[in-house]
Amino acid sequence: MAEQQVGRFEQLVLPHLDDAYTLARYLLRDEHDAQDAVQDASLRAFRHFAGFRHGDPRSWFLAIVRNCCYDFHKSNRIDRSSVPFSDDAADEIADPRATDDLVLEGSESDRVRAAVDALPAELREAIVLRELTGLSYREISDVVGVPMGTVMSRISRGRARLGAALGAGSRKAG
Amino acid sequence: MTCEECLESVGPYVDGELSVDESARVEEHLRSCPECAAAHGRLVDTSSQLRSALMRYEAPDVLKARIRASLSESGQDVGPRRVPVTARASGGWTRTIAAAAVVAVVSSGLTFAVLRQGAPATDLRQEVVASHIRSLMPGHLTDVESNDQHNVKPWFNGRVDVSPDVPRLDSLGYPLVGGRVDYIDGRNVATVVYRRRQHVINVFSWPAAAAAALTPQLSSSHGYNVIHTRRNGEEVWLVSDLNLGELKDFERIAFP
Repeated sequence: MAEQQVGRFEQLVLPHLDDAYTLARYLLRDEHDAQDAVQDASLRAFRHFAGFRHGDPRSWFLAIVRNCCYDFHKSNRIDRSSVPFSDDAADEIADPRATDDLVLEGSESDRVRAAVDALPAELREAIVLRELTGLSYREISDVVGVPMGTVMSRISRGRARLGAALGAGSRKAG
Repeated sequence: MTCEECLESVGPYVDGELSVDESARVEEHLRSCPECAAAHGRLVDTSSQLRSALMRYEAPDVLKARIRASLSESGQDVGPRRVPVTARASGGWTRTIAAAAVVAVVSSGLTFAVLRQGAPATDLRQEVVASHIRSLMPGHLTDVESNDQHNVKPWFNGRVDVSPDVPRLDSLGYPLVGGRVDYIDGRNVATVVYRRRQHVINVFSWPAAAAAALTPQLSSSHGYNVIHTRRNGEEVWLVSDLNLGELKDFERIAFP
């Protein structure tokens, strides 16, 4: 029954809308794009919901949200930012857009946000899923579709860059 | 364990991804190696800095409303598809209301009050919930936007039969957003809009047909919590996606 399907979907998937929206905000770095991507993802998820039998509904849904964000970015916003959406080599490029969002210049959370926004998407999503959403390496590997070893290395590289950018790494040992 | 091995494992160690044995080996090395211990400290610092400074977003009400509205449309179709918001707000609206009714009946575990009230209250509830969802579409929330009750209350004069109470509740965490006129049950009704964090609360009121007071009736429809009460000759309906506990608190504060 279609109505039962809606009810089950509301119970299992919709509670994760905040996590979905958070991921989309960090991946697309734009409020309206994030809303559109999460709406697309919700409908896409609902369409495929009949085929969802087992596993964690949150990881399943976040994987769809992530794909929608990447699709969205490809089709709509190619030249939006100077940071390549996916480029591990783009270590030193700062994102000029990140500073657009600064309300109180130099506040702690703005500094951290700007540093995260400047990360390449692979590292950024790993950091957000780990630090904000609190997913395990296994769950992140399910969402992103890469082996756990890759997840581990992305989180590690993401933290290293952020640590350096935020000055926590200034007293380097050795 | 060498320093190299330790530095490789220290991230998974911080994230609780290592087995008990592996964790013990990392800890042992950290106790004996100040350099690796410093690296561990920096990692913990960075991680906690991220967790405390980075924003976790709440999906906005308007997004939830858009999703719920399109889901119920999809539930009626064989091949669900995305419908632009504007088209849905006008053309597809009756279908959305019909679908809301279906969802409301199916989720009858949550609908205590409605069954006792019979059909009229159910119909009214559909109408107020539909008005609530419509109000969340961009640009539909208020006709008069003000956080001052002295602007909002007089605005209703001449627009509805009875100008509603507009208590000021900012200090209690429920700032006034404004007011608008909705069309419910065949008449213009006053709607006063409050906010709790990111959640919109719509308070609908109009002169009651029945004189008897009604203790607050709680229900849930289409993902929204609804409270219906009748007092001082007024029908009052509150609708929000705020959790029921806080919505009940709001009802007690606003209508003591």
